[in-house]
Formats: sequence, C-alpha cells, structure tokens
Amino acid sequence: MVVRNVSNVSIITGAASGLGRAAAIRLAKRGDRVALCDLSEVGLKETCSIIRGNGGAAIRAIVDVRDDAAIKNWYGDVVKQFGKIDYLFSNAGVTSRGAVSDMEFEEWRRLIDTHVTGSFHVCQAALAHMVEHGSGAIVVTSSDYAVIGMRYASNYAAAKTALYALTKALAVEFAPRGVRVNAVGPGPIDTPLLRSRGTPAEWQDRVRDYEARLPMQRLGRPEDVASVVDFLLSDRASYITGQLLQPNGGQVMW
Amino acid sequence: MAEGSSEHKGRVAVITGGSGGIGNAIADRLQLEGASVTVMDLVPRAGGAKLESSSSRPPISFYQVDVAQEREVDTTFKSVATREGKIDYLICCAAIFHATPFLQLSGDEWRRTLDINLNGAFLCCREAIRHMRPHRFGRIVLFSSMLARTGGKNSAHYSASKGGVLGLARSLALEVAGENIRVNTISPGVTDTPQPRDHLSEEELYGRGASIPLGRIGRVEDMVEGCLFLLGEDSSYFTGQDLRINGGASLW
Repeated sequence: MVVRNVSNVSIITGAASGLGRAAAIRLAKRGDRVALCDLSEVGLKETCSIIRGNGGAAIRAIVDVRDDAAIKNWYGDVVKQFGKIDYLFSNAGVTSRGAVSDMEFEEWRRLIDTHVTGSFHVCQAALAHMVEHGSGAIVVTSSDYAVIGMRYASNYAAAKTALYALTKALAVEFAPRGVRVNAVGPGPIDTPLLRSRGTPAEWQDRVRDYEARLPMQRLGRPEDVASVVDFLLSDRASYITGQLLQPNGGQVMW
Repeated sequence: MAEGSSEHKGRVAVITGGSGGIGNAIADRLQLEGASVTVMDLVPRAGGAKLESSSSRPPISFYQVDVAQEREVDTTFKSVATREGKIDYLICCAAIFHATPFLQLSGDEWRRTLDINLNGAFLCCREAIRHMRPHRFGRIVLFSSMLARTGGKNSAHYSASKGGVLGLARSLALEVAGENIRVNTISPGVTDTPQPRDHLSEEELYGRGASIPLGRIGRVEDMVEGCLFLLGEDSSYFTGQDLRINGGASLW
C-alpha cells in the first residue's frame, strides 16, 4: 500500500464536478494526496467525501483561479499540510454561448479571464514549487475546439486555443528544469458544463445527436478523460511534453 | 504490473517488426503482462530467447514474414487466428529507413520503403480487421514518426511512408469506430534503437538529445508505455489519435 508521507501530491482546480472531480477520484485512487479547489462548495464537499469514502486523502478550498493572491495562499496551505506539490491538473473553466455579433465584452472577458489568466496564475505558482525540487508535471484542460474552432462560442474557442499555446510555451520553458506540461483536448463529455449549454429538455436529443455524429457513437464519460490525466501525470509519460492528447471519440484527428 | 492484475492478460497480440528495437520490447512487455504474443519479422528475435525458455508463460510465436507480401501476411494471420481463436491487438512496428539524399534515391529503395512501412501496415490491418470484426473488439497501434510532420533531410521516402501511415490510421479508425475497434498511432522522435545507427554514430545519436527540450533521445521503454496506454482502457475514448512521444522535439 501507499505510504502516506511519500505519496505524490496533486492539485486539481475545478474539482467540484465533471472532469476535475473524475480526475481527483482517479488520482486519489492511485495513491496521490489531492488538494482540490472550485467555486462551488457543495460540489467540492461531495468530491472530497467520495475520495475519503474510498480511503483517499483530500483537502479542499474555495479559490477563484482569477485571484493570484488567493492561489498562492492556498498553495502555501497545501504545502503546509502535504509537504510538497508534485502534479497539477489545471482544469477550472466555464462555458458560454453566443454569436460574435451579440457578444458583450464582459462575456468575452469572463471566459478569457477564467481559462487563460486563471490557468496562467495556477501554473505559475505551481511551477515555482516544482522547479524547487526539480520535478513535476502539469496537465491543462484545453479542448478539441482548440483545433477546429467552435460556432457561437468564439470566446470559449479562443480561450481553449490560448491554453494549448500556453501549454506548449510552458513545456519548452520548463523541460530543462524537469517539469513536463501537456494538455488534454476532450471531445464532448457528459459533464454539468456540457449539459448547461442547452435546456434539460433538449438533453436527450443532444445525446442522440452526439451518438449519430461521433465516430465512436457514444458521448464521452469524465472517466475517459481522467485516465488520460492519470497517464500524463505519471512516469509512464516521462518522454511526453508539449502535446495535446484528445480523448474525443474520433471527433477530430490531426 | 503483476500478471494477474493486468488488463492485457489473455489478449492475443500480433506485432510486426517484433525482432527489432521497439517491437521487440513491446513483445516482451506484453508477454510479461500475460498476453499471447506472435511476432512477424524478416529475421528471428534476438533478445527474447532467455525469457522464453526460463518463463512459465507461453513462448512468443515467431513467423518469418515479409509484411509487404500479401499471401505471406494472409496465411500468417489465418494461422494465428486458428491457433488462438481470435486476434485482439495488432501493433505495426515493421519499418526500414536508410538515410539517402533525394537525388540518390532509386526507384527500388523508394518502393521498398513504402512497401514495408506503409503497404505492410495496410495488409496487416486488413487481415487483422477481418479477424477482429466478428468479436467486436480490436486495438490497433501503428508506428508513424515525428518525421511524418517535420520531414527531414535524406528521408523523403521514409517521411512519405510514415505520413501515409497517419492517413491510413485515421481513415481506418473512422470505418471501424462503431465496432469497438480503435486505431491509433505513435509518432516517436529519435529513439535509442538499432535503426538510427544505420546513419548516425553513437556520439551523434546521443548528441541529438542536447537539442531536445527534455534533454535526451527517446528510450524504447517510453514507446512501450505509450503503446500499452493506447492498447488499454486508459485510452478508452481515443481513436484516430497520434501520440507524439518526442521529448518536446516537435509540438504539433
């Protein structure tokens, strides 16, 4: 079994639901001690109790990833409790819908601030810790839409594409210091975020539409992405950096 | 991973180019995980003999096959499927690469490179799919190369063949995705195998690491881990994807 004080420590942002929750559960199952943040207290508590129910170690905090000072404070607490930071899954995100012609600047900026600037803060502060002990790995949640664009979500597509660029820049900058940085670019995954793009009444129709359109003929599950995060945040991927891995059911191939 | 807990236990795997570098290591690893392994290559396996004789696991079967010969490939797959009852995994590693300046490339060398690297993959995929389809299960991993995207001096023939592998994999992935058959590729950067030693000295080969962000050339084990990821359930929602294992040497 895993010895508590030598097991890895993983940070997961956006851990109250969806991909963040699934990744937290998966990383805790392999023995990592996980530190989770989100803005939704209810969901975050739930994720923590699932992990503790499985016998894992999890701590949580309400942190807005746009708040640089709050992130640094939180990391300080994590290091105090768990001793170090080995891995980061920078995943916090929001969604949006709307034609460019009708988009308010505020709505544009909300997406860019949360995804791009938020991920920048979260990565920058974590890298400071990782560089100190000369090792670490980061996974950033980008999207298939970083490659193919997205109709009626220019802000989401721009943010996710920026995250892919950030991933590559960090990968080359920090490879010599022992830190790998990769991105996941999921296709449509059954998460609260995906469901929130339409009404509950439309959901079954949307699922049928995905099943008809996707080569693998099924909607993705959060666990399909969590297993990729697990792979990238492990020595199995020790020669992979700066890459975008796409659990997307075959939606995009390039 | 202990054999008893491996998801690869009991899987039937066919590996082309399994006598050399990466293919050889994948064959050994899958055998260790409890899979039933068949290797196809032009020459017999070098390093496997000791493990095979000292192990309680079934030995790795070897077929001397030129993957570009349609009848040899067909016969071999039929024989494996008859013996094992199914084929679960196909891993195509068979490839040749002799660095040659473009104007010195003979038609024969061009054709031979495309024959082994691309046409061989086609023939093996076609036979494998015929045996996978009735079981509604299949995992195929084709080895492409970083050079498929970046190109490289003295490698027009090799780069073209490996680019073809990407196109083959994606189209096949689309055709069989609905039948629980996943097809993905791995694009290694320069890797510590016999192949690059055809045109690089030891010093030149290891010297390549200096210009790679992670500071070293690839190891066979890096490719083995990527291959097992693509064969296993951790990549459950992957098809038509290219896993680029290159230390950051190319970011697209």
